[in-house]
Amino acid sequence: MDMKQYQAENAEIQYKHRYWGWQIALYLFLGGLGGGILFLTWVLSAFVFPGVDMTQAFMLPNFIALLVIAFGLFCLVEELGQPPVFYRAYVTATSIIKWGAVLLTIASFGSLFWLLGNWSPESPVLGFLSVFNFFGGASGLWLGAAGIAGFGIMVYTGVMLSTLKAHSFWSTPALPILFTTSALSTACAGIMLSLCGWPGVADMATAAAAHEAHELLHTLDIILAFAELSILLIMVLSFLGAGNRTQQRVAKRWIKGSTAPIFWIGMIGCGLVAPLLLNVSGIPGASTLACVLVLCGGCLLRFLCVWSDDRQPLEGENRYYFRQKHADMAFASYYTKSGKELERGENFAYIDNLY
Amino acid sequence: MTRYAMCIDLHRCVGCHSCSVACRTWNDLPMDIIYNPVLGGVCEGTWPNVHRNYLPTLCMHCKNPECVPCCPTGASQQDEDGVVWVDSKICMGCKVCVNACPYGMRDTSHMVRRFDEFVRKCTFCKERREMEPGADPYCVQTCHQNARVFGDIDDPDSAISRLIGRSDTFRLLEELGTDPQIYYIPDMGGTR
Repeated sequence: MDMKQYQAENAEIQYKHRYWGWQIALYLFLGGLGGGILFLTWVLSAFVFPGVDMTQAFMLPNFIALLVIAFGLFCLVEELGQPPVFYRAYVTATSIIKWGAVLLTIASFGSLFWLLGNWSPESPVLGFLSVFNFFGGASGLWLGAAGIAGFGIMVYTGVMLSTLKAHSFWSTPALPILFTTSALSTACAGIMLSLCGWPGVADMATAAAAHEAHELLHTLDIILAFAELSILLIMVLSFLGAGNRTQQRVAKRWIKGSTAPIFWIGMIGCGLVAPLLLNVSGIPGASTLACVLVLCGGCLLRFLCVWSDDRQPLEGENRYYFRQKHADMAFASYYTKSGKELERGENFAYIDNLY
Repeated sequence: MTRYAMCIDLHRCVGCHSCSVACRTWNDLPMDIIYNPVLGGVCEGTWPNVHRNYLPTLCMHCKNPECVPCCPTGASQQDEDGVVWVDSKICMGCKVCVNACPYGMRDTSHMVRRFDEFVRKCTFCKERREMEPGADPYCVQTCHQNARVFGDIDDPDSAISRLIGRSDTFRLLEELGTDPQIYYIPDMGGTR
């Protein structure tokens, strides 16, 4: 292979394959979204509208939170090497993953018990759920537990990545702040889209309070989108200017490299700037579109961050894994799977072709 | 207290990959997993004064390992003698330790069937040393250049202590504070 061609390819290759797949990125997004919804619904119920019964207004948001957390957990378990033994995650106190698992469990059960305690479906198919209404006696406790655990989940998703200091782009205090801000922002959007929806049946007082809550979340979402935009740009640009070599390489890829279109058009443009403009424009229906875009932007942020798992390569590591990936493995696969013994001359001809 | 470490003389290493083959054979590793890759092979210098640099690597068995405290199941452990290993009976394959290792020296076995995947790594041939007390890891025994020296670094009379004491050594990514226990004697070029 020509040296220039080798160097050009070598500059962009990952020295080793990615260990965490799309499941983890999606899990981080869904965990943050679900945790954020539970936290905000608890804060709104307990502190912002303490005199109003917001239960029926928050039925659908909480139901969605429970579903996204459950699906996030499914993604997490599916990504494990041995999914059937996922319960082992609760063992070690020093592990951040263990605390995440505990928080997710508390949030899930808190949300589930709150829903069962307050849901009395009239449909004959779901009517049996009314037998669980005894959970409603401690409704505040369930929502409080889920809300506090939800806050923990929002913070944990960023902290989990930032504790892995092998990956320079993750190992920064800015990442948990960014993820928490993004989780709150997406949670605002999620609640606004689902407020007062089925299965909740809101009376006039609740509907009026829900409308007020919607306005409050709308304002909060504008502030959070602006904060997220600032944190994101400060983080990436400071990495580009003052980061170590690995951070600079990732920041360069985000700003003007292979992931620049996703970063500028997808995350900054559609995920943050467009929702900001739509939210302040006051156009009818713009707020709904802004909420959808915020959710997409939050998801994109997690994917971009998880895929920025560059590690400081050891000397010669790129060359080694490049050869293994493109030549040695191909040769080995061909040789072992073809089921035939190659002649000595054929072997060398095959290797020459690979290089 | 015994503290196992390894010293690799890069001046002696010729990049033959015997250590990798020996390791793969002893541990019966699948095709895409390797515990001790010999990195490098990069040419340096100007003709005719050129040479190739090799960097044999393996788990650094750090004193302050990043991969042990992050393990949620407790499968990733460190013995009193400093050897870091993974209990395959407890590991659930979450790959947090793989992401935590700054040296990229952990891997999952992708070629075994799903639901039976666990993290694998170098253990300084723990099983072999348990069967034959005093035996060296297989890569050390195989190295025909005697580039690898293994032993108790806390024993001042051990071969590795004496070698490190009289040589100018370096360790990889020391700035991360992991205190790696693989020492390298730098390659000065030319032949010895």
